[in-house]
Amino acid sequence: MPKTEITVGFADQLTTAAVELPAGEATPWDGKSELGTVGKPIPRIDGHLKVSGRAKYTFDIQRPGMLYAAVLRSPLPAATVESIDLSPAESMPGVKAAIAVAKPGDAVLFAGQDIAAVAATRPELARAAAAAIAVKYARKPHVTRAESAARPGAPLVHAGEVQERATEGDEPGAGGGGAQQGNVRALRPMNKGNVDAGLRGATVHEASYSTQVQTHAALETHGIVVSWDDDEHLTAWASTQGIFSVRDELAEVFGLKPANVRVHTEFIGGGFGAKFGASAPGSRLGTIAGKLARKTRAPVKLMCTRHEEHVCTGNRPDAHQQVRIAGKKDGSLTAIDVRSLGTAGIGTGAGIGRNAFAIYTKCPNIAVNASDVFTNGGPGTAMRAPGHPQGAFALELAIDELSTKLGVDPLELRLKNDEHPVRQWQFEQGAKRFDWNAKRAESAAMRAKSTRIRRGYGVAASIWGDFGRAKAAVATCSVLRDGTVEIRNGVQDIGGGILTVLAQIGAEVFGRPLETISIKYGDSDHGSSVGSGGSQTTSSVTPAVRNACEAAKTQFIAHAADLLGGTAESVTWEKDGTLRSGGKSMTFGQVCKKIEGESITATASRPRTYGAHPMSFVGAPLPQIAGVQFAEVEVDTWTGVVRAKHVLAMHDCGRIMNRLTTRSQVNGGVILGTSYALMEQRIMDHDVGRMLNPNLESYKICGAADVPNIDVVLTDVFTGANNTGAAGIGEPSTIPTAAALACAVFDAVGEPVRRLPMTPNRVLTAMGLTSNTRTSG
Amino acid sequence: MNRFSLVRLPTLDSARERVAAEPEHRTFRAGGIDLLDRMKEGLDAPDELVELAAISGDEGRRMRGISQRDDGGWRLGALVTLGQIANFDELPSGYAAVRSAASHAATPGIRNAATAGGNLLQRPRCWYYRNEDLLCLKKGGYECLAVTGDHRYHAVLGGGPSFIVHPSSLGSALVALGASVTIAGPDGLRSLPIEELFAPPTVDPTKEHTLAAGEVLVSIELPPPLAGQRSAYQFAKEKQSHDWPLAEASVRCTVEGGRMREVRVALGHVAPIPWRSTEAERALEGQAPSTELFATAAAAALAPAKPLEGNAYKVPLAQGVLRYALHDATGIARPD
Repeated sequence: MPKTEITVGFADQLTTAAVELPAGEATPWDGKSELGTVGKPIPRIDGHLKVSGRAKYTFDIQRPGMLYAAVLRSPLPAATVESIDLSPAESMPGVKAAIAVAKPGDAVLFAGQDIAAVAATRPELARAAAAAIAVKYARKPHVTRAESAARPGAPLVHAGEVQERATEGDEPGAGGGGAQQGNVRALRPMNKGNVDAGLRGATVHEASYSTQVQTHAALETHGIVVSWDDDEHLTAWASTQGIFSVRDELAEVFGLKPANVRVHTEFIGGGFGAKFGASAPGSRLGTIAGKLARKTRAPVKLMCTRHEEHVCTGNRPDAHQQVRIAGKKDGSLTAIDVRSLGTAGIGTGAGIGRNAFAIYTKCPNIAVNASDVFTNGGPGTAMRAPGHPQGAFALELAIDELSTKLGVDPLELRLKNDEHPVRQWQFEQGAKRFDWNAKRAESAAMRAKSTRIRRGYGVAASIWGDFGRAKAAVATCSVLRDGTVEIRNGVQDIGGGILTVLAQIGAEVFGRPLETISIKYGDSDHGSSVGSGGSQTTSSVTPAVRNACEAAKTQFIAHAADLLGGTAESVTWEKDGTLRSGGKSMTFGQVCKKIEGESITATASRPRTYGAHPMSFVGAPLPQIAGVQFAEVEVDTWTGVVRAKHVLAMHDCGRIMNRLTTRSQVNGGVILGTSYALMEQRIMDHDVGRMLNPNLESYKICGAADVPNIDVVLTDVFTGANNTGAAGIGEPSTIPTAAALACAVFDAVGEPVRRLPMTPNRVLTAMGLTSNTRTSG
Repeated sequence: MNRFSLVRLPTLDSARERVAAEPEHRTFRAGGIDLLDRMKEGLDAPDELVELAAISGDEGRRMRGISQRDDGGWRLGALVTLGQIANFDELPSGYAAVRSAASHAATPGIRNAATAGGNLLQRPRCWYYRNEDLLCLKKGGYECLAVTGDHRYHAVLGGGPSFIVHPSSLGSALVALGASVTIAGPDGLRSLPIEELFAPPTVDPTKEHTLAAGEVLVSIELPPPLAGQRSAYQFAKEKQSHDWPLAEASVRCTVEGGRMREVRVALGHVAPIPWRSTEAERALEGQAPSTELFATAAAAALAPAKPLEGNAYKVPLAQGVLRYALHDATGIARPD
């Protein structure tokens, strides 16, 4: 196969590379391509629908004769179901059907588990009826704290081996578990070198770090509307990150052909990794709605309440990490050793990501051993960069603590041990923009004077991969007779703005105004696509769309050549859309009008990733995505209140498709990370085994006044991985925020706060001002 | 949420008598913010809500207005919203604490609907009380679940047998300002120092106030400001937008000849009632204001604290908040 030479790299570090392009693959846009629409800060094309309330979310879907479902959930964290009596619900006003979801003898594993469900004419009637169902339980002992569950003799959460539940939200290649003993299941370890050797003769820092359970808390709760068209066909509207995962699950559950299940998701009110499939991680929502719809022969809507959203639709597991890190006075790290226990409740996946293993790679000796601990809590699931924010927090704060012991500037220590050229550039450019040295001198002076208000500065890194998928997205491009370029793909827009980006691709390829590009999306009938997980939507879908557009364009030019009486090669296409060959010319519109039939149409996919410049991801031939964040905090030493003042977010996401929507994603990542750092936490009462704050009052999420000033610096990196050069940004942008804020708090007060979130309680405790005899606060 | 009727009666007496006749099934609705929350949360299920906003004439105007009294003091009607108090520029500056407390509560939307009376009489935010499935002391059970449970937001002063913190932000400000309340009952109007409106849990853990069934809080009376009166309110929160305070402090005083006089200090969200600190008042009265004095007074205010196992942080935190309020009230610059 012939090789094509392309320009790869970033900033002033551009170089050429030869790539082998499979047949049908468009020549990649590279470091030398000058593009007109792609990359520009174009406002999202559906923005007006969202701000005017015309955008219809699953929550807004109304169907003729639609019923509302409600689920009765176990109030107990561990029990055996003895009996379920549906009759009290069946006779209540408005009730059309009641079903048992659990059966006598079933084990209840967490408070919030599905027991029974009702469909009624109004949501409040459904809820009242569900509450009236009489259930008898035999209570069993429970355990909700990871540390307690890991001890020998703790109540066993699962009777047997646990199967890992993987979704498209998980980091590709990161799963896999080992032996299960009691409630503890080892995750796949990461090892290199010899940690003990690295600890010898070096300065060692050892401490334990804890992170909390965070819930996804999307503004739109999980929900689905199911309607049976006939016995073999089903239509669903779902608040989902993965239309096709919903389709496949419904097809499997009800024994239908996937092609007979149609799923719509036009708008989704937030999804951070927990919205894949027709079920929520801890509740079989799609099955329940589908069964009730079949029984009542009416469409059924099942939207979770806020309480349900917190307890049974997934969460970010906690992590309790014991870190040993060693280095020398010259700033070289000699060992990183992390052992972690975390709980994903009854689920799996309480790992700590790749940060410790794969960022500071000049360190020769690294060991990361993590385990899931099963507890009687709602299942954890993928949440925006699964494991990574937890891992980054412990690693980066430990590095700062070690740097204090070594007397080496923490930024210097990072520069010395990281080898990703983009991250190096981000550290260096960021330090200048942030005025790192002067700021760190200021904070040191405040500490020395023991001022009332302290400022502190920290920095942390992120790692992610460009997990763009081959073949998964099939896009269709049609040039219509009215001059519209229509692009079809069944992708959902999780909020990143993918349909705007797809319109930009079409506009770029055809040189047409953006408003003449029509995007058909959010519907499984528009062609297969990827789930929005793993930060892979843009890099999976845009290259397929570009290939479809380029193929349609080739046909279109051939059609124009016929009309103009020349060869395709002779046709020139001018900026204003005029097509010329020989002495003849036609406008784009005139050529379209002469299309025979409805349209000129081409369908295409994208091949496997074929480049990984300038540096590949750990153990995989795909590009590594670099990011660095600098943070400034203000700490009130009288009250322990931490304010996040400023975050400088330096990020790479390949070639940037749209600077505005990309910046918006980074803003979202920083806000989520700030919220995780300072306030979000699931609070359990371990005696009753229930969540105490399943609401948005005492489960605290950053409001406007809590959000720092966010300065986003985006670096175009030409990876040569696919034909648009897109990579992901959703997840990398939230990974380092809490870590950088924790490092900044350490800089401000001179004492590390080794537990998230960094509430006034934890800060005052770290400063030695409290005498809490219990540390759970 | 249960079905209920909304009853609108034009006079205070008719409204009061309506509820007094069946206090188990009927209740007053003012702003309805906390009431409707409790109904939706399954904590209360009244059959009938008697709408106080329907009261017309002079009685209605008194309950809905802010006005100056003949003695030079000011009256805040019980139905005045927090937003009205926060934005009422004519209120003398000596009452700054109550305006500041009103302006920092909840959200702009809630402040525009929530009333002063409702703020004083709302039920606690304790997550055991608010969980409909759990039976706690507040709901007629035998124990305060917070004692062995998670009590990070609970009382460090005056706790036991219940360890809730009183949720009213106006409470501490009004205690510091020496306010009183006017209450309508079967025998007409009666007046009560505001501290006597709040009931410690030792009396009846299911109630936070001393109103009899069917009595109506009509207005809040602020005494005439002292010559040179200053006041301030301060708070600390985990979250800066829409959150309940971890601790609040309100201070009233005058500063004459370089000495603090007529000092009143009250703390909020640290005790089951808005907590007047006579220890801090004694430490401050007649003293020259200074950073050091304030630290001493704040330590004195929290000296009687008996934190539970997991909320000892509220002791230094409340001290810090009180120090800020003292600096603000006296105008002594905060130290660097």
